[in-house]
Amino acid sequence: MRIDPSWVQDMFQLIRRLQSVLCWLTAIVLIAVSGAAVARRPHYLRFGVLPLQSPTMLAGMFLPLTDALQHALHRPVQFVTAPNFAAFMRRVQRREYDIIYLNPLLYTRARRWGYHVIVKVAGEPFAGILVVRRNSPIHALGPHVLPPGLRVGFPDPNAYAATIMTRQYMETLGIHVNRDLKVKYFGSQDSALMAVYYGMVGMAGTWLPSLRSMPPRVQRELRVIAQTPPQPQMPIAVLDDMPAHETDRIRKMLTHLTATAGGRMVLRHLGFSRGFVVAHNSEYDGVKP
Amino acid sequence: MSVIELDRGQTVAAEQRSPRLSFFRTLRFRLVLSVALVHAVLMGAFVWSAVNKQSEAIRAELHNRAHSLITLMAVASTNALLAEDLGSLAEVTERVKQQPDVTEGAIVDVRGDVLASTDPHQVGHRLPAPPDGVAVPRRNRLRLHEQIRVAGQRVGTVFLEMSTRHLKSELAATRNEGLLFILLALVVGSVAAWVLSVLITRNLYTLMAAVRKIGGGNLGVRVDLQARDEVGLLGGAFNAMAESLQRISDQVRSEHEKRTDAERLACVGELSASIAHEIRNPLSAVINSVKLLDRSNLPVSDRAQAIAILNTESLRLQRILNDFLDFARIRESRLLEDDVCALIEEVASLIRQNPQAVAVRVEVECDVCPCRARHDPDHLRQVVWNLMLNAVQAMPEGGNLHVRVERAGRIVRISIADNGCGIPDHLLDKIVRPFVTGRKHGTGLGLSIAQRILMQHGTSLSIVSHVNVGTEISFDLEAV
Repeated sequence: MRIDPSWVQDMFQLIRRLQSVLCWLTAIVLIAVSGAAVARRPHYLRFGVLPLQSPTMLAGMFLPLTDALQHALHRPVQFVTAPNFAAFMRRVQRREYDIIYLNPLLYTRARRWGYHVIVKVAGEPFAGILVVRRNSPIHALGPHVLPPGLRVGFPDPNAYAATIMTRQYMETLGIHVNRDLKVKYFGSQDSALMAVYYGMVGMAGTWLPSLRSMPPRVQRELRVIAQTPPQPQMPIAVLDDMPAHETDRIRKMLTHLTATAGGRMVLRHLGFSRGFVVAHNSEYDGVKP
Repeated sequence: MSVIELDRGQTVAAEQRSPRLSFFRTLRFRLVLSVALVHAVLMGAFVWSAVNKQSEAIRAELHNRAHSLITLMAVASTNALLAEDLGSLAEVTERVKQQPDVTEGAIVDVRGDVLASTDPHQVGHRLPAPPDGVAVPRRNRLRLHEQIRVAGQRVGTVFLEMSTRHLKSELAATRNEGLLFILLALVVGSVAAWVLSVLITRNLYTLMAAVRKIGGGNLGVRVDLQARDEVGLLGGAFNAMAESLQRISDQVRSEHEKRTDAERLACVGELSASIAHEIRNPLSAVINSVKLLDRSNLPVSDRAQAIAILNTESLRLQRILNDFLDFARIRESRLLEDDVCALIEEVASLIRQNPQAVAVRVEVECDVCPCRARHDPDHLRQVVWNLMLNAVQAMPEGGNLHVRVERAGRIVRISIADNGCGIPDHLLDKIVRPFVTGRKHGTGLGLSIAQRILMQHGTSLSIVSHVNVGTEISFDLEAV
């Protein structure tokens, strides 16, 4: 039997075309599969928490909350904080967080970058406190009560309750902080409290939740000598591009934490026994530095 | 330890006959081999076990170091990870990178985003989160990851990759060291085994040399073994055996000499009696004839008869004495390599001319001609002559005399057959003795002379005979 050479050539050409088609198909399938794999990756909601305390302590407080949010939203929520207030606010400015928890003063700045409050901490007034060691001779505040050159510790210049409110309060009492006292910033509420505990400073500005989160032995050695007038409570705000239904779901979940045992457990970790209540931007209009 | 030789006779020949033992079949070699093998196996097992343990320890040390490092890394980076403090995290990975064998370290948040890495290109990229606490095997790499957990929740993952090249080179060094130890043990064990085998077997070699000498006939050999072990006992037993053998050998030799002397005396007596018997009759006839001749009144016819008897018997006496002298004076054979067919043809021609063989038909048959054999031609001629003459005399009425020469391998067989009167059975066993004959006038020395000559050629007569049927006498010579 004779085979026509042109027929053989045609067959080879056909095979080559089939090969190239197969290669293209394989490449398309691979790209599609990898794209699908990328698409399947969950998008995390980032919950930024103002570094009021050490990151580990904040994580211990807020991770149960983010966990509860995950279950409620059916999507992962990442707890994250920042090395300091300034870094935190820079990220807020860059809209790196979907949800933020911060002080009322910093919230007034965050509003400018697209965040709006949905809930605030319920019940307890938002006030700064001044703490001394239990055995300290200081029992009250006054122009000539504090020993001259007393060392006072604060967490951060931008800590609203702990720094700004307490400083304003002392100024109203006739104490010129910058002139009469020696101010030292320790970066976080914990550090400022530990500085008092170890005697590195004679007094520290902070707020009640931070004091309550300290170990009992530390709490026992500290004493509150003054509390500032209350201000609107610490808000939780979300980005304005968050879908409304998701915002509503978050609000609902946060305001109903007190209704369930699991929610109460979350609140116990946070130190906010009364949970959250709905808040509006107008409540923070009067907050000024 | 030594071999004491009381008599060196035939020792060398005996040693040459002893089979040479291959070195690989010697007790010494087997001992060395077995000790070396046992040594190698035991040391091999020991070293293998030690190397394994050491290797496990090295592996465990690297794993422990890696686990410690990754745990430390996780602890050190927790706060910075939560605060997304990239500077602090970079410092952690940088410090980790400075640790020996670390090839890669990375800190990844809960999303899988790389926040810090020893490889700056990885930062900002996303990695899949692997299962916790599992060491992933990779070529020349040990890759670990550990989840960073706070309040029971994963907040990130730390990756650490360490090179196992150093580990492998250490393992290889350990293994090579082990192999070197095995080799060293093998060499030392072999040398020790060799020394041990020499110490054990040297007495055996001495004994073997002594046994060879005894096998060669030197019964005076004794061994002097200083060993106080089994070999020493064997040496003592050997000496006792050699002593006993020598004693028995001496007794046998003494008895053989006595028996030979007795046989010689008996032979002399028998020979004397035979001679006396042979010469007594003709001598009596001679004496009687002389007495008759001494009578003066003896008739002439009786005188002539007495003189005839005197001549006949004196000739017989002379023949007897000549044959006896021939028997007694047989010289030592001088063996040459020569053709026997021609010699036999020559003798056959002489026989055919003998008056007694007038009625005898003489035939000579040679299978191979010439047929060369080692022999003394003069002696062989006399042997063949005697045998053919006996055959002719056995056929006084005539008959056939058939001489056959045939070669079978290294032997030339000569057989002389006749169809004469044959040899009586009672004479067949002793027909080759001197003065034993079946004929009335025979001297009985022809076959004796032939037998003595053939014994000098290393052979003897073989006789098959049947009365009134015939006789066939044959003998073998060494063919050349």
